[in-house]
Amino acid sequence: MPSSTTEKTRSGRVPGARAALIWGVIATVLVTVATVGVFLVAPEDADQGVIQRIFYFHVAIALVSLVAFAVACVAGILYLRTRSARWDDVGDAAIRLGMLFSVLVVITGSIWAKASWGTWWVWTDPRLVTYLIVVLIYAAYFVLRSSVDDDRRMRYAAIYAIAGFASVPLSFYSVRVANSFVHPVVFTRGGAAMPGSMLFWFVVSVAAMLALFIALLEVELIGRRTERALRRVALALENA
Amino acid sequence: MTGGSQYVVAAYAVIWFLVLAYIVMLGARSARVSRQVEAISRLLERKGIAPDDGGDE
Repeated sequence: MPSSTTEKTRSGRVPGARAALIWGVIATVLVTVATVGVFLVAPEDADQGVIQRIFYFHVAIALVSLVAFAVACVAGILYLRTRSARWDDVGDAAIRLGMLFSVLVVITGSIWAKASWGTWWVWTDPRLVTYLIVVLIYAAYFVLRSSVDDDRRMRYAAIYAIAGFASVPLSFYSVRVANSFVHPVVFTRGGAAMPGSMLFWFVVSVAAMLALFIALLEVELIGRRTERALRRVALALENA
Repeated sequence: MTGGSQYVVAAYAVIWFLVLAYIVMLGARSARVSRQVEAISRLLERKGIAPDDGGDE
């Protein structure tokens, strides 16, 4: 019957799959454009030379990692208000992705430090140390999640995601307060301390990393929704 | 490679390696979900509820 076939197709559609596909395509295009732009079009820095090209993705990834933690904070607030497992999924997936991006920031930052300052890490630099503190705080989130179960896990995780976000402004403003020479402030209230041609490719890089984050978040959420639905079906079958 | 370009290559290689590793991890989870669906399908068959094949054939 045609109507039956239509219903089957409609019910077989995975929620969020279309959004994941669209964001996946946008991310692929933007990452390709950003990579080509950063390596072939953006001008070479007069001071640091080719090493400065690490800046584009390193800082873009750092910004997106902070966005991921902000998403987790908002999802935590929404979970506590609604007690919907959907927001727990969003929060957990956002922190997982935030950690991926944070690890990338630390590694690429260390490589840049070695190339530029001759050392992998500077313990006296407030930006590096406070960012590491942020990473460790969010690493503890996974320990918390695995140590408690079910409803308590979601509640505690939401509270931790909200409380953990307090460390993000600490990292962001530390370098401005400390006025570090080692880790200079590029973006100030007066604007960006770089030419327009560099700023353009930096903005494209940020957009690319943001699209990559959203695409991966959508895929993560599809996986979690499917696993949750499967658990419900398995439970219903066991009780049947 | 000169002028520190090896550091730039290393930084971008790390980025793409870890992002790809994460995508592979997502793929592995998708495979696990697929196995669970098959297990549920077998369970349905055992209980005498014939699962629909989704019109693949």
